[in-house]
Amino acid sequence: MSTAGLKCPCCGSSSIVEDDHHTNRQMVCVDCGTVVSEGALTHDFFEGTDISYSRTTAVSKKPCLNQIKGQQRLTALCRVLRVNSEIETLSSTYFAQAYEHESFLNVSLQKKENLAGCCVLVSCRQLNWPVTMGTIACLLEVDIAMLGAVYQEMMKVLKVEAQLVNVSDVMEAHCQEYKISPLDVHEDLAEDCKDLNKRALSLVELAADSWILTGRQPVPLMTATVYLAWQSLNPNHIRLKMSLEKFCLIAKVKKNRVAVKRVSEIKGVLCKLGKEIPWVTDPVTSDNVVKHVGDIVKNRYALLRSAMRSHEEAMQNDQEEEVNPSEADDQTPHATGENSEMAEQPREGNESNANPNPVPNWGKRMLFAPPCVIHPKRRRAVIEGLKDVTGDEDISDGEIESYIRSPREAREFAVTQKAWLSQSEEAKCQ
Amino acid sequence: MDESALERYFDDSIANDSGFLNGDDADLPSTPKPSGELADDLDLSFLPDELSGNACDAEGSGSGGGVALASHHEAEDRPSSSSSQTANDSAVFCPMTPMTPMTPMTPMTERSGIVPQLQNIVSTVNLGCPLDLKFIALQARNAEYNPKRFAAVIMRIREPRTTALIFSSGKMVCTGAKSEEQSRLAARKYARVVQKLGFPARFLDFKIQNMVASCDVCFPIRLEGLVLTHQQFSSYEPELFPGLIYRMVKPRIVLLIFVSGKVVLTGAKERGEIYEAFENIYPILRGFRKQ
Repeated sequence: MSTAGLKCPCCGSSSIVEDDHHTNRQMVCVDCGTVVSEGALTHDFFEGTDISYSRTTAVSKKPCLNQIKGQQRLTALCRVLRVNSEIETLSSTYFAQAYEHESFLNVSLQKKENLAGCCVLVSCRQLNWPVTMGTIACLLEVDIAMLGAVYQEMMKVLKVEAQLVNVSDVMEAHCQEYKISPLDVHEDLAEDCKDLNKRALSLVELAADSWILTGRQPVPLMTATVYLAWQSLNPNHIRLKMSLEKFCLIAKVKKNRVAVKRVSEIKGVLCKLGKEIPWVTDPVTSDNVVKHVGDIVKNRYALLRSAMRSHEEAMQNDQEEEVNPSEADDQTPHATGENSEMAEQPREGNESNANPNPVPNWGKRMLFAPPCVIHPKRRRAVIEGLKDVTGDEDISDGEIESYIRSPREAREFAVTQKAWLSQSEEAKCQ
Repeated sequence: MDESALERYFDDSIANDSGFLNGDDADLPSTPKPSGELADDLDLSFLPDELSGNACDAEGSGSGGGVALASHHEAEDRPSSSSSQTANDSAVFCPMTPMTPMTPMTPMTERSGIVPQLQNIVSTVNLGCPLDLKFIALQARNAEYNPKRFAAVIMRIREPRTTALIFSSGKMVCTGAKSEEQSRLAARKYARVVQKLGFPARFLDFKIQNMVASCDVCFPIRLEGLVLTHQQFSSYEPELFPGLIYRMVKPRIVLLIFVSGKVVLTGAKERGEIYEAFENIYPILRGFRKQ
């Protein structure tokens, strides 16, 4: 440090020397001995460089606090679901990737939490660990629709694909929720989890083949099959009388309105098959089909074939009764053998015939069809509007004028509107 | 069946290509033809629609003859008059190249025979002048305006049964029509109403933004199987939505496929895209029927 130009503030002399005081450089006035400036400990700051602190000091961009929290939440979720470490790391990677993306960077905390759940979900799917969206939604305590929206967006951002979850895989975990071991309930009502699972699985397969599963939420169907399985494994008086709601109460499972519908649908399928059992003489109805479920499930392939055959015969008999005899020749019976595809093909002949009106309900002619086809929703009659329109037609003045208020009408409307507005303002103030 | 839906579809595609051109000449369509084989025979994309048929009688060409036949199919609301008009137009402009009969790309037996029905058309038009929405809501019978909820007047007309959103900038959205021509007619009616109310409304940049159609293949579909084999295009989440969402790449259409066999097609700007998308998906769906 140069001594030139420095003046002692105390005595004003300009003879200032550099002095090392315990390695601390000082500028000391010779005459009066005041320390003009201390060396390194000076307030003589130097401007510093133009490079900011974060650029020189920060090593890499650290995740923000919310992201850290999100990762922790994700880990907690993985622990609850008891997934393996591979899934945990994969979901962690996805979360880090998706979080940085613009569509997830500035969203609400709840959405970020949903994102964590979705990352776990997609990793589980990709690594063959069956878990449903409903489970994640339940764990996060969020509406499944919201979770679904985040899921779809995340899939677009990450550009990954995930397989569909098989209901059969999820079934075992679902069965374990039901508290009906001999320790929990009375022995008449108790059931072993493994047997329950097995029976319920075969019922689910039956439902899948007969179009009850496709397009529907899996959980109500699973509840329905567990209920029917439980009833059929020991069809005593108590079990048969117990309703689905009561069963859910006993088993400490959330009840489900839709499951009741599924029960009746599955019972319908079982009845169709139950009819084919050779040794059953009484007519099989929804009330008494449960006790035959064991036999039906055991011999379901044979019963399926038999049911299809009788259905074809019934169709043929209907055909012969019809006025037009030529259509009977167009019957194309389908034997699908071991494969449980039960959809009977609609008559091939129908499609090539000059049939101006489409067949009203092809579902009714098949042995098994999706319930939404057999019982279609009634639609309001389609209003047939203009047919031959060019878009360039003349528009009549009269028509346009019918859409415009007359001056008097407009005045009255304005007056009424003002009066109504002031009234509502008064009501609001009161 | 003497005249299949297929040939009618091709004939209508020809009519369509000139049918979309309206008063605004700058809006020339640059999209390619829906079916490749038409490009060689006729290129009508440059024809403005004002051109009324210089009545040359249909030159006994295959497609002309096909068009003249009355349409029985309920799906067709194409008027035969405009189609024959187009046939005549092309005759006028391409005198040297006689119209060759259309030959389908694949044999007739493989076509579905099902034609998707248009359910909704969304179009936009610019009326070209700022509008006083309060005044319109006051003077028009069929208008509703609630500025706190939405910043546009909602106007409805009876024929064609449509709804329009009219914004203060002068831009308008017209929804609910069942065909492109109906949408155009409806938009013109709304413009006339606005004109009658005293605004210097014009009819600029009419454009079809979206077309929605639906049809029924009449057999059940294994959605789980379809999502397995076409994973890169399909999204099927039964917990969220009962249908399978199929995003077709060419043409860029989104299809909603349901277990009942009903298919909804949306995202099209032209009718041909819908027909093409359906013809693409039908063999795929048929494949799942046999399994």
